[in-house]
Amino acid sequence: MSASFPTAAASPVAAAAPALRVRDLSVRFGGHLAVSSVDLDVPAGRISGLIGPNGAGKTTTFNAICGVITPTSGQVELGGDDVSKLSTHQRARRGIGRTFQRLEVFSSLSVRDNVRVGLEIRQSWSRRRAAAPQFLAGGAELSADDEVALIIDRLGLVEVAEVPVGSLPTGQARKVELGRALAARPSVLLLDEPASGLDEQESVEFGALLGTLAASGLAILLVEHDIALVMRVCSELSVLNFGQLIAHGTPEQVQSNAAVLDAYLGGGGNDATAVERAAVDAGVNVSDTSWSGPGAPS
Amino acid sequence: MTQDAAAPLLELRGVRAAYGSIEVLHGVDLVVPPASVVALLGPNGAGKTTTLSVACGLMSPTAGSVHVAGRDVTGVPPEVLAQKGLTTIPEGRGIFPNLTVRENLQMATLAGVGIKQVEEVAYGRFPRLAERRNQIAGTMSGGEQQMLALARGLAVDPAVLLLDELSMGLAPLVVEELYGIVAQIAKEGTSILVVEQFARTVLGVADIAAIMVHGQVRRVGDPTTVEQELSAAYLGG
Amino acid sequence: MDKFLTFTIAGLSSAAIYAIAASGLVVTYTTSGIFNFAHGAFGMMAAFTYWQVHVAWGVPTIPAVILVVFVIAPIFGAVIERVIMRGIEGASDVVKIVVTVSLMVALLGIAQVIWPQNVSRPVPPFFEGRFVELFGVRVPWARLMALVIALVVAGGLKLLFTRTRLGIAMRAVVDDRSLLQLNGGRPGRTAMLSWGLGAGLAAISGVLYSTEQTLSAITLTLLVVNTYAVAVVGRLRSLPGAFLGAVILGLAQSYVTGYINPGLTIGPIALGNLAAALPAIMLFIVLLVQPEERLRAHGVERPRNPIRVPSQTVAIVGGVALVVVLAALGSLMSASDLVLVTKGAGIALVTLSLVPLTGYAGQISLAQMTFVGIGAVAMAAWGASGSPLAVVLVVAVCAVVGAVVALPALRLSGIYLALATAAFALFCTAMFFNQQTIIRAGSVQVPPLSFGPLSINTDFRQLVLTAIVFALLGNGLVWLRRSAWGRRLTAMKDSPVACATLGLNLTSTKVGVFALSAAIAGAGGAMSGRTFTADSFSLPASLPVTMLAVVGGIGSIAGAFIGGMLLGAIPIASTIFAANAIGIFRFVSLPVTNVLSFTPGLMGISLGREPDGAAPQIAVGYRAVGDSPPALVVSAAGAVALWVATRVGVITKWSFFAALVVFVVAVVPLLPLILTPRLPEDQAEPPRRVACAIWLALATIAAVLIPWATAITSNGVRVLLVLVLAALSARVAIGVLGVTPEQLRRPLPPSPDLIGVDRPLSRADAIEATHMMGLTEDEFEAEVSRAGADVAAAPVGALR
Ligand SMILES: Nc1ncnc2c1ncn2[C@@H]1O[C@H](COP(=O)(O)OP(=O)(O)OP(=O)(O)O)[C@@H](O)[C@H]1O
Ligand SMILES: Nc1ncnc2c1ncn2[C@@H]1O[C@H](COP(=O)(O)OP(=O)(O)OP(=O)(O)O)[C@@H](O)[C@H]1O
Ligand SMILES: [Mg+2]
Ligand SMILES: [Mg+2]
Repeated sequence: MSASFPTAAASPVAAAAPALRVRDLSVRFGGHLAVSSVDLDVPAGRISGLIGPNGAGKTTTFNAICGVITPTSGQVELGGDDVSKLSTHQRARRGIGRTFQRLEVFSSLSVRDNVRVGLEIRQSWSRRRAAAPQFLAGGAELSADDEVALIIDRLGLVEVAEVPVGSLPTGQARKVELGRALAARPSVLLLDEPASGLDEQESVEFGALLGTLAASGLAILLVEHDIALVMRVCSELSVLNFGQLIAHGTPEQVQSNAAVLDAYLGGGGNDATAVERAAVDAGVNVSDTSWSGPGAPS
Repeated sequence: MTQDAAAPLLELRGVRAAYGSIEVLHGVDLVVPPASVVALLGPNGAGKTTTLSVACGLMSPTAGSVHVAGRDVTGVPPEVLAQKGLTTIPEGRGIFPNLTVRENLQMATLAGVGIKQVEEVAYGRFPRLAERRNQIAGTMSGGEQQMLALARGLAVDPAVLLLDELSMGLAPLVVEELYGIVAQIAKEGTSILVVEQFARTVLGVADIAAIMVHGQVRRVGDPTTVEQELSAAYLGG
Repeated sequence: MDKFLTFTIAGLSSAAIYAIAASGLVVTYTTSGIFNFAHGAFGMMAAFTYWQVHVAWGVPTIPAVILVVFVIAPIFGAVIERVIMRGIEGASDVVKIVVTVSLMVALLGIAQVIWPQNVSRPVPPFFEGRFVELFGVRVPWARLMALVIALVVAGGLKLLFTRTRLGIAMRAVVDDRSLLQLNGGRPGRTAMLSWGLGAGLAAISGVLYSTEQTLSAITLTLLVVNTYAVAVVGRLRSLPGAFLGAVILGLAQSYVTGYINPGLTIGPIALGNLAAALPAIMLFIVLLVQPEERLRAHGVERPRNPIRVPSQTVAIVGGVALVVVLAALGSLMSASDLVLVTKGAGIALVTLSLVPLTGYAGQISLAQMTFVGIGAVAMAAWGASGSPLAVVLVVAVCAVVGAVVALPALRLSGIYLALATAAFALFCTAMFFNQQTIIRAGSVQVPPLSFGPLSINTDFRQLVLTAIVFALLGNGLVWLRRSAWGRRLTAMKDSPVACATLGLNLTSTKVGVFALSAAIAGAGGAMSGRTFTADSFSLPASLPVTMLAVVGGIGSIAGAFIGGMLLGAIPIASTIFAANAIGIFRFVSLPVTNVLSFTPGLMGISLGREPDGAAPQIAVGYRAVGDSPPALVVSAAGAVALWVATRVGVITKWSFFAALVVFVVAVVPLLPLILTPRLPEDQAEPPRRVACAIWLALATIAAVLIPWATAITSNGVRVLLVLVLAALSARVAIGVLGVTPEQLRRPLPPSPDLIGVDRPLSRADAIEATHMMGLTEDEFEAEVSRAGADVAAAPVGALR
């Protein structure tokens, strides 16, 4: 199948109500308040970033949003509905999809079957034959097999489609996780360090892919320590430290916020390298480059 | 083996290794001179982790030999190497997830260092760990777990330190700080072999860089030249 | 009041024994991640050894106790770790459970061989005749001692595991063995110590228990089931929790014995057995009140060899072949053999019921025979006419019961389902199958099915029916496995949390699989058309079913069939070998039937070496036959010819058996080699196909001509000789041919997708790729030498 994707046009989504709204979320583990009164708004059609030092509570926030842990207090609203009382799978059915910091792929299944299971689980509870999302075939109606094939193609996994995911390198396995989440057609996508394990070039390609996804109307919340990637793709950032939000704003605002520099990004010098790298990356030729073959670096 | 003053602390000669019938190292030669930092770089699946497993004794090479301070230690069990001062911080979780932080540190004393010293160094370097000393290690954040793993490497004051993907999942500030520490303990006399995918994070502190591709060391040299080559490769040269 | 105190003190002292036993379980579980189902069997062995040393050999109490508890038991535990448990480190929950369950069954069998049941072996209580008065109740010293020991054990373990480096290292082993090595520890030794400690604790509880009860291997072994409930209170990991559980169970049992009149009944159920069922009831209650296990993202391991899922066509062909072969064999058998084979095939239906549950979903049940029992009893009650409609009803009931039983445990992780099903089996035996009102006189006759005018009233018809049902259900399962649902089960086995975040309701999915499994087992009971004793539905009867299903290779239908046949073969072998004994220099002489009684256990233990079971390996051997049409035709023709010859009376049945074994073992696997023209290219010497074919024909004819029935008198010797003949023929045939089947089994050409993923690029790959890019060989060579120069120019390994 030839893979020609119409690049989704700039999203027509109205930025009225956020797709995901978190209010006053707190998670306590014993005596330790891992997340403390966090508010988040994740609008559709954009990539929002959630950054912060190690142990700030980012993964915990994700877990609370998708119901893997029960928060001590707080609400999670999805498209205006309160889903705080729902279980993990019920929230998933309402449109929350996610990936994991530590890989959670179906390692004995092939890449294709991983994606297919995502799709089939959706079909098991939703008989509705909705049109495919915008980023796939421009929203046309697709058969299940075609949809799986398109997702695999979109993620650049065609060559390894029949390989068991357990034997793939981390970078590719992370893409499989993303593809699987997409097959469930979420409206909100939570990505926990999706670029760790990717090399620099892969991370650039990955950023471009996230852009396309958001442009097709998805709300994306991204946790990532690859600051260059975050600064490049996110339209707004929230910064967590010790479980509390310490800053919120555009990447530029956050980058110049003293509290953030102090807690996470570090002084001016480091900041410059991040920007510089983003610039280098932006100019990178994302075609067929690899330094693994003999004679590649000349 | 003669043991002259300049003998490298860790040396791999023509090491081949396989998982079952699939050979993944096809003759690796690698040298870590005393008191220096060697960065072992390479793409996913190149065999970096496997190289470390052979070096620390967890895997036996199918051919070739491993030398520590000039002695052939091929086939010596890992616990013996650990007690002799070759410390390895493995990829992923280098911690016991069901033990508390303090109990994890207590395990570090199996290498023959007192608990006092271990705790002093660990809590000194990472005050966060002191706050969490009674937390079950597996429930800590990814970064905190990584700190705990590294704390062991620092606390036992090793002669040779092998580090696998130290920066994975750590905030940039912390990575910078950790590599500062790595450079410092190298100055104090420890020989260090660091495996990384993100070349730039480590090239600043490395004395030597080696590039591994498809189970072989393809380039060895000065970090700056290697960095240029890497960039060239990334930019589609 | 006096009565209350008496029972309280009695309760506390059995609580002490439970507590010690449970702490042993907890110790092994926290230090090895293995729930030791054989814990009770360890205690049982210790109790018998104590009897042997103290009573039979007359060693005084104190040295005997020291010898058993501090020397023999710990050494035994350490050896078990070294020889068996080390092999299953990192294996799936299913394998871990099956191996320890098998160990339990094997120890039980061995104990019954060493200490035959027909002798009574009283063990004198400690401090006989010494009492203290407590609140007006006379308490024997021994009971106080048990309490004191329990407290000392509790304190000691607490200290060991939190304060000493050794204890912490014991807990560290289970987290990450190689990391402990990297820390400088010795995981092997540490693990042996842990198992030694666990076995020592088992020995204490076993010896204490044996002084209070009559010494019985089964009772002592099943003591561990009481301890399950106790340990579950502490989620298998917490010692204080286990002690609390022990007190609850000890008191509850004591009060039930003291205050509930055994004559009392609820409906048809007499309460006389309530005390025995209490641990099971307690386990269920504890499971119910446990909070749902938190989903955890834990990272994913490398996959094991994935099992090939057969295509539906293969499954259909296999099903038809199974029916034909069983019918053909059945038509030749004597009535008594036919009964045994029919029962064996019936058991294969039960092992089949584990395929979706264990093979696909990775969950385990230890109560499959209980569901068979429910199916059998319900069919006897409601389906006396043998109507297939009654079967449907019975199956539905079994599914519902299965769902209800599984629900509390399925919210938790795998091991709890094993425990809950074991408890369910015990509960049903005590409160249901052992009730006169339900199974009269200890046996139940399942009415034979009838389909209109056709009644399944002969063993032969029953055999064919069973084969057809197996083939149909097997095909259904293959279809399920290939469906979206089957993929989902595999996915759930790999990562439950990911499935949940994709929108899968884990609990209902697991309950569904369990209900399906219970339904198939129930169908096995309802359609069996035979008589069962109440014993056949007990926990000890269910264990071998699960064990051998896994040994056969539970991931596949064929594996289930092999498992069922292995189990069915044991009674057959027992009759064949009834007169034989294994003698070792006339020093010991073991009747073969005794040895057979613990073979299932040994087979299960062997799983540690081959966790995928037998089926995948056997399948490898015969796969080439399936791929070669001429070989298939000749195999079928040969078998049919033998059958016809026997049927019309040209050859005897023993000749048929011998020839068939030689044919299947020696001839069939070599047929593709002989008949397929293509041979490995690197085979220099042309194989002597004709010579080999002649040899195989001769061997088969010899098997037919040897006068088995008259020349040899013992069945056992006959069977052995047949097997030897088959093995020899195969060996010689390979020698004559000059090629082995392994050499023929050319690896499939690797998928181009895999190159560079699972293996490095080879020169051939590179050349092929170059061709595909339109380059010529010469251009390729030029390219290579350029790249080679590049590589050579790099200062490899040359440092400073
Ligand atoms: N189950 C738990 N019990 C106790 N403390 C916990 C538990 N889970 C997380 N924590 C603590 O909560 C805090 C937040 O952890 P979290 O995993 O959310 O961090 P994070 O922001 O994702 O960090 P990283 O970038 O390192 O992954 C950490 O300090 C961690 O130790
Ligand atoms: N336990 C294993 N069994 C089989 N193959 C393995 C195993 N571990 C690694 N491999 C294979 O060996 C090769 C080298 O792996 P290794 O982990 O050493 O690479 P690496 O350079 O450390 O990669 P990464 O950057 O992903 O950590 C890979 O192709 C990998 O698939
Ligand atoms: Mg995290
Ligand atoms: Mg690695």
